[in-house]
Amino acid sequence: MKKGKHTLTIALALLLCLVPAMLFAGGSSEATAAADDGKINLTVLNYRDTSATNSANEDEVVWDYFLEQNPDISLTIENIFGEPFLAKTEAYLASGNLPDVIYMWSGGKSASVHQNHAVKDLMPFLEKDGLVDDYNPAALVPQYGGYLAELPEGITASHMIFVNKTVLEDCGLEIPETLDDLLAMVPVLKEKGYGVFAMDNMTTWVMQSTLVSTIVGRLGGADWYDRLVAGEIDFTDDWFVDSLELVELLYDEGVINRNSLQSTYGTSRGPFALNQYAFLVDGDWACSSLMMDNTTGQALLSRERQENDIELIVFPEIPGEVVHDTTSGTIGTGYAISADIEEGSAKEEAAWRLVKYLQGEHVQEYRLVTGQAFPTNLNVDVDKVIEENNLEPLVSKRAEFYNTYSYTPVIDDVLSSEVANVIDIGLQELGLGSKTPVEVAQDVQDTWEKWLDKQ
Amino acid sequence: MANIQSHSPAAKVGKVITYSVLLVFSCFAVVPLLWLFMNSFKTTQEFMIDKLSLPGQTEGYSATLVNYIDAWTRGKFPTLIMNSVIYTAGTVIMVEVLAIMAGFGFAKLRCKATKVLHGSFVIGILLTIQCIMVPLFLLVNAIGLYNSRLGVLIPYIGISLPMAVYLATEYIKSIPDALVESARIDGASYFGILARIIAPMAKPVAVTVAILTVSSIWNEFMLINILTSDDALKSLPVGINQFAGALTTDYGKQFASLVIGLIPMLAFYLVFRKEITKGVAAGAVKG
Repeated sequence: MKKGKHTLTIALALLLCLVPAMLFAGGSSEATAAADDGKINLTVLNYRDTSATNSANEDEVVWDYFLEQNPDISLTIENIFGEPFLAKTEAYLASGNLPDVIYMWSGGKSASVHQNHAVKDLMPFLEKDGLVDDYNPAALVPQYGGYLAELPEGITASHMIFVNKTVLEDCGLEIPETLDDLLAMVPVLKEKGYGVFAMDNMTTWVMQSTLVSTIVGRLGGADWYDRLVAGEIDFTDDWFVDSLELVELLYDEGVINRNSLQSTYGTSRGPFALNQYAFLVDGDWACSSLMMDNTTGQALLSRERQENDIELIVFPEIPGEVVHDTTSGTIGTGYAISADIEEGSAKEEAAWRLVKYLQGEHVQEYRLVTGQAFPTNLNVDVDKVIEENNLEPLVSKRAEFYNTYSYTPVIDDVLSSEVANVIDIGLQELGLGSKTPVEVAQDVQDTWEKWLDKQ
Repeated sequence: MANIQSHSPAAKVGKVITYSVLLVFSCFAVVPLLWLFMNSFKTTQEFMIDKLSLPGQTEGYSATLVNYIDAWTRGKFPTLIMNSVIYTAGTVIMVEVLAIMAGFGFAKLRCKATKVLHGSFVIGILLTIQCIMVPLFLLVNAIGLYNSRLGVLIPYIGISLPMAVYLATEYIKSIPDALVESARIDGASYFGILARIIAPMAKPVAVTVAILTVSSIWNEFMLINILTSDDALKSLPVGINQFAGALTTDYGKQFASLVIGLIPMLAFYLVFRKEITKGVAAGAVKG
């Protein structure tokens, strides 16, 4: 019985230890104390991607600077990222207690925010302040919910081909202008031991977003989604089936290596920098991964190599394409104001001041300098910023890219995830050879029709 | 009786095969950890160029501690580690106490409602975090515990209890009823029987429950993000995962974060390895 007593004593001691721990645990956050000093307190749901190259100074440069400039406002910022960000947004929506200012996407990822009209239309705010002309018109188009829910920080090109000119010169090749040029390069590159397209297709969205959206846009036209919704075209029509057949051809001809289906996203950037591939197929966001990382002082591509060895292009001309020199693109992410804030209130004015600031010249210049986003604010003089900050050549090449090519929709930005997922999986099945383009197109059409029926 | 220490050639071959298989499995466990540790001293750029070389072996690069320094400061690890310890220790203690008590009740104090009550606990094993996430958020908000450590601890205890109660009940069922009955005849109260007889005998299952609870709560990532908003209340997995984005991954800092997150668990294992081994074995046989 002595041992039993001992156990009881230990259990009681543990419980006694736990009581203060629980009391300590009950300590509430700093957040609740905020607005007692007469300031307007704004709650902010912020997406903090710490993995983004050169994001280390964001607190000081972006948020602290705003507080310095706006002493009458205090911020309670919730930094969150990845899948939990989306889950938390849904939880806030369900609770009817959305933070005052939230980060969101213009399309599918924030679908429920758009559909519930949980945030305010920002166009009247821009008009009231006379700021409409300050932004790239493409950034101010209506979003998923049919209105300007968030003020975008940039326009993203989801398809960008990085050309390694060193590899091409070694093989006596030129940048391909047509699909035939590209296909003709394959044996020459292979003979010298080079890969053609560096891609990482294990993650399902990559092929669809970084390549197929552009091909579909070329063959279906910039308005393919509008015509699809209007019932004028189907996924089983030539524009889509031909797009899938082209993907199959790229696999069959060795332009895309089937091993890419086992490669996790981002892996091939290193081999591309090591001159193992002629082209890197990625989105514009890959630029920052290739540039200097301020925390390490290292870059996958030195300034000299960015200047002399790298070109940014789009997929070459495809026979039968209805639009030329296009990439796929979407309006970038941005910040929105909760619809719960009372109209005309001081809080609404403070929230708008914050949103305006976050897409103002100061922050957009910072995002340009760090390579995170290309500005939508036309007051940012890109050339001047590049020159004054002695930015890396890839930044100016990226600026030139945006000026050279026009945009068609990104598939997963316009289609619901239910349909886009079938395309993503179908593209992998094409790569594995387990389905034909016609079969994949039929699967997509069936899912699209089911989705339409539910609307 | 067969001679276990047989020196026959067949026994020797068997031994070689046994050790070879064990060596291969040890490599499966140890090599990824060594690879992780090695790559945590490379910058992301060096890692992307060569994933297998030793740090600093790639031309133009040298081994560096910058990942650890940066991950530690930007990741706010001191706070996160302290929070993880509070959440894990608090949950383990409460789960142990409650599970052994419930297990004793379900196994030895049976009544008409036992089946229903036991079932209502055990059905929780089937619930995933994703399906209770939003209701839990609403509930925690409604009772004013959102964004507090208590608001995290209570759900953690709740989600850990179903498996713990199931294991404790099954284990305590295997303890002979005669022991409980004898103690009752000797005049012991049920609480006295629980404390003096059942709890000491249930030590192996308590260790099993502790292992399961520690590993699930220490690594929990989704609920902590849903139930708190302040960085000061988040836990270690949040710090570890923050260097892996959807479009880019800062491999160097992520590996350093993983090593930092691994050290407390390794220390836990090294200190309690005997108990853990016994607990797993006992849990496997009797649980």
